[in-house]
Amino acid sequence: MMQKKICMLGGFAVGKTSLVRRFVSNMFSDHYQTTIGVTVEKKNVTVDNRDVMLMLWDLYGDDEFQRVRDSYLRGSSGYILVMDGTRKVTLDTALALQQTAARTVGAVPFVSIINKADVRSEWEITECAIEQLRERGWPVLFGSAKLGQGVEELFVTLATRMGNPSPRSTDRS
Amino acid sequence: MSSDPHRSRPDSPPSEGLTSFDEDWTQLRTLLLAPEQTQLDELRERLDNRSVHPREVSLVLPEAFAVRGEKDQQLSNVLTPYVEDGFAAAVRKSPRAIVDAIAPIMRPAIRQAITRALRSMMQSFNQSLNESLSVRGLRWRVEAWHTGKPFAEVVLLHTLRYRVEQVFLIHRETGLLLHHVTVDAAVVQDQHVISGMLTAIQSFVRDSFGASQDQTLDHFQVGDWTVWIEEGSHAYLAGVIRGAPPATLREDFHAALHDIHAQHVDALVNFDGDAAPFKATQSHLEGCLQAHHESSWPAGTSKVWMLVGLILTASVWLGWIAYQAHARWSELVTKLRAEPGIVVTVVRSAWGNYYVKGLWYPLAKDPSGMVIDAGLDPSTVTAVWSPYYALDSQLIATRAQSILQPPNTVKLTLEGETLVATGFASSEWVREMRRLAVFVPGISRYRADGLVTPSDLIERINRAEVRFSSGSSTVEASQRAALGTVAALLRDLDQSVSQSGQWVMLEVLGSADETGSESTNIQLSKARADAVLAILEGERFGQSTTITTGIAPGVKQRALKGESAGQRIASLRATLVPSTRGTEISRP
Repeated sequence: MMQKKICMLGGFAVGKTSLVRRFVSNMFSDHYQTTIGVTVEKKNVTVDNRDVMLMLWDLYGDDEFQRVRDSYLRGSSGYILVMDGTRKVTLDTALALQQTAARTVGAVPFVSIINKADVRSEWEITECAIEQLRERGWPVLFGSAKLGQGVEELFVTLATRMGNPSPRSTDRS
Repeated sequence: MSSDPHRSRPDSPPSEGLTSFDEDWTQLRTLLLAPEQTQLDELRERLDNRSVHPREVSLVLPEAFAVRGEKDQQLSNVLTPYVEDGFAAAVRKSPRAIVDAIAPIMRPAIRQAITRALRSMMQSFNQSLNESLSVRGLRWRVEAWHTGKPFAEVVLLHTLRYRVEQVFLIHRETGLLLHHVTVDAAVVQDQHVISGMLTAIQSFVRDSFGASQDQTLDHFQVGDWTVWIEEGSHAYLAGVIRGAPPATLREDFHAALHDIHAQHVDALVNFDGDAAPFKATQSHLEGCLQAHHESSWPAGTSKVWMLVGLILTASVWLGWIAYQAHARWSELVTKLRAEPGIVVTVVRSAWGNYYVKGLWYPLAKDPSGMVIDAGLDPSTVTAVWSPYYALDSQLIATRAQSILQPPNTVKLTLEGETLVATGFASSEWVREMRRLAVFVPGISRYRADGLVTPSDLIERINRAEVRFSSGSSTVEASQRAALGTVAALLRDLDQSVSQSGQWVMLEVLGSADETGSESTNIQLSKARADAVLAILEGERFGQSTTITTGIAPGVKQRALKGESAGQRIASLRATLVPSTRGTEISRP
């Protein structure tokens, strides 16, 4: 079976771990995230009739106290950028993290998701900003870890893009 | 070659208008350019017909595969489904051929796996067996009971010096698991997630201490487990070890990783997440699954324990033998003390030898026989008996028996101080008994009314007679019963006189009534006597009895008196005679 390493990136408390929890049956404690900055999960998906084992590196949220370690990104076949729709700052963090990821692992497929779609009315990230992301070539999905919306689609989309890499999946900036 | 014959063709005149010059020119051109013309025709045909010829493709196919394979993975991606389908079809169609093909690879692997499993099982079994009876083993048995673990596992854990329980082969850059092996007994979590976490931990440690990429986490320890990490350029080995591994194990890890890098360098460099090629590293990783157990016993200890065991066994055996002998001795002494006519005064025993001293009435039970009956070796028993005259009441009958010497037909019993004699005895013995009985110690009276003497028996025999019907010499059934009583009396008489040197002479005298002639009556009388004799001959008597037949002398006299019914009889006359004749049943 094909294995792929993918990283969950995003600002602090944007819902990365919640998304992963919705996707996998967890084995390890969150405690590792706060100690060494990452916890690794596993999930098997089927893409184009091929089984793929996704090794999800759920990285600690990037904030002023802790930066994402480049070394955790190395070897990734793709990554997911997670933003919190209710906090615009998380979009800026995602932009910075994307730059870091591109610098570290190169032009590998990635997918972005704006979390907390269940409280869309409270969003600070505007449609205009979202459109700008799409113009940069970012695939932008919407989801709610709380309701489980868009979670399966998020990972399957990334797995599909990793299986069929295309120029659109990389940042053109 | 500027003169292309085809180029001049459009300028050529029609054939029907050919001149002699043109024909010459054509002929010349044919002669000069025929080979080139042929080649040009072939080239034109190939250009016009662009289809690929298999023969031509076959010439360049291997090189084409090699060139494209170096360029990218497209060739592999395209061929993979066809190869898989072809392989599946081949397996379905001819599994035997596939088995033959992979057997050389599979057999050693299967053999190795079975050998490992058997070795592990035997090791566990031997370990358990060795420890099962020792003090340490008992302690571990309690632990097994307390923890709920199998005893063999507890033994293994305590005697384990080290055991490599799991080996991970992990891609260095991605942290993805390439291959993983484990011992049967190890508890395995999700090896893929563990691979990722191990890689993350390494990165964390390296980043935290500012180490370079070449500097890696060498090992870490958790409880009984140590995780050894052996780094390679593209992959690293992580061995999970229980116990304290020796330094030489690190060399084995290093050698295994080196071999894997050497044999799978292409797969490692081009690793894209497909770990299938690394199944071939199974043997390398299994070579790292090493274990070493401490010997259960120091050298020579087992012999000492064996000796101790033998001594203990011998001691127990000897103790048991001694216990049994002592029990027998105690039982013998008890019986001796209870036996009438035996007084035990001294008893000693030491180291398997026994000593008893006392008084013994010679008419009492023989003590040496009691020693044998008790199951003791007579040679180990020293008995000193002094004779004495016992007055035990139980010995009065014995004493009377000894003094009076009764014949076998007499039974002596005691009723208080009265000696009672029953049975058959000679008149002489009865007289002697009456004289001596009162002199036997313990006897004040005697009673002999139950004794029957030969005189009594003879009197009873002589009173018997056998009656016949008129003119018949056949003994009727009712008379046979009377003869049975006579026979029993004769046997008693025989026994009672056998020891006195006398013989019993029984005469059977037949008689007849007055009816018929004298000669007929005499013959009838004789026949009646013979008939009785024949019946008595069927009885078994002792050797002291002789039976004869005859004719009653008073037949005619009784006939004259009219006692006809009383004359149809056979009478019996028993007498005792001195022993001057042999044993025989005679007929006159």
